[in-house]
Amino acid sequence: MDSTQLTTLTGVIDKKMNRQLKQYLDICARCAICKDACHQYVGTGDFKYLPARRAELIRQIYKKYFTKTGEFVPALYEARDPDENLLDELYDSTYACTGCRRCMYYCPFSIDTAWILSVAKAILIAAGKGNEMLGQLADAAIFKGDNAEMFNDVMVSGFEDIQEEVRAITGNPNSQVPVNKEGADILYVALAGAHSIRPAAVIFEEAGENWTISMFEAANYGFFYGDVEKARLITKRYIDEAKRLGVKEIVVPECGHAYRVAEFFYEAWSKEPMPFKISHILEKVDQYIKSGRITVDKGLIEGKVTYHDPCQLGRNGGKFEEPRDIVKAVTDNFVDLTPNRAEQWCCGGGGGIVAMEEFKDVRLASGIKKVEQLKASGATVLACPCENCRLQIEELNEVHELGLQVWQVIDLVVAAMPLKGTKPTHV
Amino acid sequence: MSDETKIDLELDLKGLLCPLPMVKVSQNIGKVEVGGVIRAIATDPGAMADIPAWAKSTGNEVLQAEKVGGEFVFLVKRVK
Repeated sequence: MDSTQLTTLTGVIDKKMNRQLKQYLDICARCAICKDACHQYVGTGDFKYLPARRAELIRQIYKKYFTKTGEFVPALYEARDPDENLLDELYDSTYACTGCRRCMYYCPFSIDTAWILSVAKAILIAAGKGNEMLGQLADAAIFKGDNAEMFNDVMVSGFEDIQEEVRAITGNPNSQVPVNKEGADILYVALAGAHSIRPAAVIFEEAGENWTISMFEAANYGFFYGDVEKARLITKRYIDEAKRLGVKEIVVPECGHAYRVAEFFYEAWSKEPMPFKISHILEKVDQYIKSGRITVDKGLIEGKVTYHDPCQLGRNGGKFEEPRDIVKAVTDNFVDLTPNRAEQWCCGGGGGIVAMEEFKDVRLASGIKKVEQLKASGATVLACPCENCRLQIEELNEVHELGLQVWQVIDLVVAAMPLKGTKPTHV
Repeated sequence: MSDETKIDLELDLKGLLCPLPMVKVSQNIGKVEVGGVIRAIATDPGAMADIPAWAKSTGNEVLQAEKVGGEFVFLVKRVK
């Protein structure tokens, strides 16, 4: 590595390393409590996935360039150059991490390894070693934002098809999927897939909500990639749209990281206050059920139902009760997973890992705790409000022959609503 | 165009939800030579924006993006 590259990489660390991160690096006692908290270490037994080890790689670079002891006697103080070997180690341990922050929950010092790894991602990107797939997905989303008119016709045509499907479900030929409706109260920022729009549209329509959809999806691969500027631009697409339409509230779909990005990160990235309320779709649905705006029938869902807390919505987003209240409203046959809520095991599918083929074996091995939980529950239906979690659990379901039906929570709700039309099978 | 174009790789992406069709095309584009063509068939309408956007931002080319019945058929040429 030449001196210019080295200056760039150490500059990234210098820029990112604030007082709290320095404290994290200083304070780790190597107690290894995190080894029993990390689904990936538990599932693989591989040292490089131990949370303290992941952070150690950043600590080694930091010591070399930002401490006197590490600079002058690196061997004694475990200080290292960010050479190719270290960067390769860093790539594996960083992009494999799902960012679930279960290690932080159990750490006696609450060390936020996922935050430390955000520095690692910035270093890898600066070194030209960011994950190519996540970078491509982020760039495609930004391209869509910059060239929205290019995709307008195909998007509108897709929404019209979904509107027909919604009408078939509600039995109401006037049901709407409003697109770019100025003066709507709510902008629903869905995922790109129709499955995220269809049931939400049924629920909004039946609740009599004044809502609209726009051209941009909530998923944010810039966030997973680790590039704050790309992540900001991807989010900005729908923030600008919400401003233009004059809505009062943005509602994000059943997507863990999308909620966290909109509710917790965008203001810090953009350095401007969020001019709307941010809600998760399940907060709205819970309100609709409790206020009687929609009706659900407990007799329409068959089998024992359980619920998985997506890490970004639950442990990292604080939304534990609304989804459970919804599931309990549609069935009397609910059983929780053990452990649950803040102690819930990560399924192994977060952080963009489902899009990274090179981590498939690690991903599936790291789902073993989730498989054990699901088997122990005896449930035949799983409600799960996160796209990445569902993809992972559906694959675990196949590999381990769990015999589960994996549902979006809003699909369960639509299945439990007494509607005049034809109910779809889920997804 | 689809009748005349030599197809080097077929991808059945039916049933996959967005953005997975785009992910699968991206994962497989390296399996054809530069100048080679992938035919991908998806059922999620979101792919009609996702795959062309991915192609534009990666410097590849969508020769065809067409709705056929309930399916979306793409011919994607690897340019680099």
